[in-house]
Order: sequence, then C-alpha cells, then structure tokens
Amino acid sequence: MANAGFGSIDKSIATLSLCGLMLIAVVYWFARYIEPKPTPLQGFTAPFVFGNFRVPTDNPLTQEAVELGRRLFYDRQLSGDNTVSCSTCHLQHLAFTDGRARSVGVSGKMLEFNSMSLANLMWGPQHFFWNGRVDSLEEQALDPIQHPDEMAQNLDDLIDELESDDVYPGLFKSAYGEISAENIARALASFERTLISADSKYDQYLRGELKLSAEEEMGRKLFMAHPDVKVSLRGGNCIDCHSQFLTSGFNAQFDGFSNNGLDAETLLDSGLQVATGQATDRGKFKVPTLRNIALTAPYMHDGRFSTLEQVLDHYNEGIRASDTLSPLIMEADNQPQNAANIRISLNLNEKEKRAIIVFLHTLTDHGFITDDEFSNPFDVDTKPDA
Amino acid sequence: MRKLLSIFVAGGLLLAGAAVYFYQISQPGTVRMQFDAVIGDEPLVFNDARYSNPGGAGMFRIRDFQFFLSNIDLHGEKGVYRVPDSYYLARFDNSSTSYQIDLANVPQDMYSAVTFSIGVDEVANGSILSIGDLDPNSRMAWTWEVGYKFLLFEGALIDGDTIRPLVYHVGFSENRKTLLFNLPEEVAPDSSDALLFTVDVLALFTGKNTVDMVALPNVKFDRDDARLLAGNYGTMISLTPTTDVAQ
Repeated sequence: MANAGFGSIDKSIATLSLCGLMLIAVVYWFARYIEPKPTPLQGFTAPFVFGNFRVPTDNPLTQEAVELGRRLFYDRQLSGDNTVSCSTCHLQHLAFTDGRARSVGVSGKMLEFNSMSLANLMWGPQHFFWNGRVDSLEEQALDPIQHPDEMAQNLDDLIDELESDDVYPGLFKSAYGEISAENIARALASFERTLISADSKYDQYLRGELKLSAEEEMGRKLFMAHPDVKVSLRGGNCIDCHSQFLTSGFNAQFDGFSNNGLDAETLLDSGLQVATGQATDRGKFKVPTLRNIALTAPYMHDGRFSTLEQVLDHYNEGIRASDTLSPLIMEADNQPQNAANIRISLNLNEKEKRAIIVFLHTLTDHGFITDDEFSNPFDVDTKPDA
Repeated sequence: MRKLLSIFVAGGLLLAGAAVYFYQISQPGTVRMQFDAVIGDEPLVFNDARYSNPGGAGMFRIRDFQFFLSNIDLHGEKGVYRVPDSYYLARFDNSSTSYQIDLANVPQDMYSAVTFSIGVDEVANGSILSIGDLDPNSRMAWTWEVGYKFLLFEGALIDGDTIRPLVYHVGFSENRKTLLFNLPEEVAPDSSDALLFTVDVLALFTGKNTVDMVALPNVKFDRDDARLLAGNYGTMISLTPTTDVAQ
C-alpha cells in the first residue's frame, strides 16, 4: 500500500515535471518568437581610403535601429520642455552644425562649445565632444539630453513619454525590445553612424573622376605638406593634424587632439585634461573633420572665428604660445627661422592662403546635406497635412 | 574474448590520447616580443625636460616617440617563419613605457634568431591600404606621395628662456633598417618567456653620429639629415641582457 502510494506520488511528480518542461519549452519558443529580429542595414558602404571602422558588436547597424534613431534625433520630445531636438543644434543643411559660435539649448544660455558637425563619425578620434570626455557615440548621446542647458530631460520621464507615444513602442520593439535609456542611446548612435559624407569634389578627385583646378591643386598640395625650407617645400601644415583622406583628427588613442595655439598660457582652457587628468593635455581639443568645412562656420571649439580667412590668418600669424602648443605648429615655417628670435608664423603668402581655402571648398558634399535618408522624418509625416 | 576486447579498448584509448597529445604540441602558438624604452641609463619619462642635449647646450623633453617595426622573421630549425602583415607601430606612452607584440599562430619550432625592420618596405610604403598598423589617415602618414614616417620624435629643447621645438620625422624607403638578433636561448611558441628588447631613444642622437639639437632641431624631408638619423636609429634596439636564473 505504502509502496503503491509512493509509486503514485512518483508518477505525479514525473507528470508535473514533464508538464513543467513542456511549459518552459513553449515559453522559450514564444520568447524567441517575440524577440526582435532586426534587419541588417543593406547597402552600407564607405570609401576604402577612409580605412577600417568598427561597429560595436552589441549594437549592430540595423534598418530598424537607424529608423528609430533618426526619428529620435529629430524629435523635440527628447527635451524636458519639448522645444529642442538634437537637430536644433545639428542642422542637415549646415552639415549638422547650427551656424552659431556656441549653441543655445532649452535654458537660452549660450553653451560652452560650438556645435560639432556629424559626419564620418566611425573614423578619426573615437573620443567624443571637443574635450574627448566619452569614448563611444552611445555614451555621447545621453549627455546633451540630460544637460540642464541643452535639453534638460530626465531619462525616466523621457522613457514614460516614449512609452505612451503611438509610434515608439513598436519601433523600439522591432529594433531592440524595451524602451530604455540604453536603447535610446543605441538608436541615436546607429543613426549617427550612417551619416557618411563621401561624395565631395575631393572624393571625386580621389576616385579619379575629375581633376582639381590649378588653384585647388595648389591648395591641396599645401594642405598635405609640412613645410621644409631645407628642401624648398612649402606647406600649410594642415596634414599634421587633419588626416589626408578623412581630414579628421587621428584615430589612435588621443592623437586626434591638439593645442592649436588659440590662447596664451594663462587663458588656456582645460580641454582634453578633463578626460585624461593630465596637465600635459591642457588646451588640447578634438581635431574636427574638415569635411563640409565651408558650411560649418563659425570655427574652433568656441566658435571664435567666423570665416575661413580668419582661420587661415590664425594659423599663419596668430598662434599664441603655451606649454602644450603642438611642436609641429611651433616649428612649421615657410621662411628660414632666425634661431635667436623664434617667432611662430607659417609665413604663407596671400595667394597660398587663398589656395588652401579654395581647396577646403572642395570638401563640401551637396549630396550629404540633401540626402533624404538623413532628413527630418517628421517633415514627411506632416507635409501632406500642411 | 572479454580480455581481448579490454586490450583493444585500452590500446585505442592510448592511441587516441597520443594523437591528441601530438596534435596539441604540433599546433601553432604565440610568441611575445617586448620592447622596453629607456634614454641612455635613465627611464623614459614623457613631457619632462630632464635629458641633456647630447651634442650641445640645453635640456630636452619628449612629447611623442613612435616608430614602425615591420617584416618580422623568426628563424627556426625547420626554416624561416615570416609573420604575415607584420606592420606594428611601436609606441611607449604608457605606464610601463613598453610595447608588446603577441605573434599568434606561430608554427612549432625552436627559434634561434629573429629579424625585423625599423621602417616599412618599399611596397607597403607606396600603398594606401590599411595593413596591420599602417593607416594612411594616421599621424605617421606624411602624404600619399611620400609614404610613411618610419620614426617620429617630437618635443622641445629648453635652454634658459628659449624653447625650441624639436621635430624629427624620418622616412624614405632607403632608411629602412633591418636588424638581426641571435637569441641567447632558443624559443618555442607558447613558452612563458618573451623576447625582450631594449629601445634606447638616446641612440637616435648618439648612435653613430652625435647630434647637437641646437644645430639640428628638425629633420623632415632633407635626405642627408634623414640618413644621418636613420644610421643612428639602426643602433637603438638591442636584446635585453638576461640575468641568469638558478636552474
């Protein structure tokens, strides 16, 4: 009897276990079924002269992520008072800058820095902001959203807003799953990675599709040379910081940050020192891409120069000495130096300065600033009603 | 019958074990090369004007120092193993001022010598493909037409109130220096010992010809100047003497 009793208990345990296992299997199957399976981004290319790039393995480029990121980028809901979106300071027709010396967000206060162009972000320094304080686009994305002067948004409030939206829950579900701060950042980073500018006149020249004019070619040669009077080589010294094809800062470590002589020692901003804690990085700022530079005035991290002519004048004769000033800037001179009286100057003539500016205009990519893939998706939504 | 079966099983297991063992020891492994930087008898410290101008007045400081190390060949009993795509940018701006290369998938052999170059071979130097650490958008790229800087040294010479920038960019295909090192002991892949080298940055200014940084504060495109420094950097790497350890 007792044995029989145990036997029946064994049997029920076995049955229960079997049911449990089946349930787990069903739930597992169902979970797999409802887990988003986003579509890898199709037709994504970049010129080989840009070199290798890396997309984070935990945030692959997918159509769904890019679509979501683009919508978030243009959505004013991302700011605390719903007045400002990322695109407020990053306007496509200005190569994703805002035309101001320093940007203005929800507080109306002028920010510390000039709005950076968003182009070819997977190449060049992988440290973001002018002072390089974060190491990924994902990390970068959440900073302006929460900054009290920029977008002043509480992330939990933002998630609540997006959850009660008609469109976002579906977009998040197909791209990542849940709505979270992490996934907001991932989506914005994905959209930003697709912002590739590679069809300027310079690109067409690199692909052998056209010849530069004599003046553009003169400017290109000056851009690409560090001057050396010993071999009668004249140079504008640009390539010492701006790489030859990308025209951005260098990718390796913090090589893409430089003190370009904007301020004398006593007025020097901290710059990269904020990121590294090293006094030897004081006054160094991110070397930006020069792609579309003719569209992205004003120039420098604080927008102090309003024209390219002023920029060239600065490099030619306006350098202020400080301890962390680039030795390449100090040393570069197109005239023999008087060793006893070193005065920092490139000593380019007016014709040469003009040629460099003419070359810089070949970096403008009209396709990039009019590409529908990068434009405001809300315009498309609202146009039929308007 | 049963006994026979046991013998077969035991023999089979033994064979399988031996196969696994021999398979494992024949698998390629890793060889580590380590380069430790010094300045003469002193440690390398960046951004500190603590070193004397070897040929004249003033003290110098180093902001950046890096060079290309390429075409690594390991010479073993079975032949020479050429490390594929071996273009490494050696830099020392880290807490241990040392640079390590882990050569993966090195065939099993007893290696008694190693050769490599300071600089880049002519083919790679004329190419804009990104191979190894070669990157035409890096600070080591001079321009598309000229190729790579093989060695970069940037800093300043301080003499009283005068600060002179020091810029030594040495390139051109003729300045590639290929060095041969006979190893004190043969090395097999996956052994715990790294191949240890010392890089004496001061040799750049003292190796064959002593350089006065006041007279020659920069070297860029002048071929004679570049050759002078290349002759010097050809002497800057040596095997680190090993202290005998009790067996």
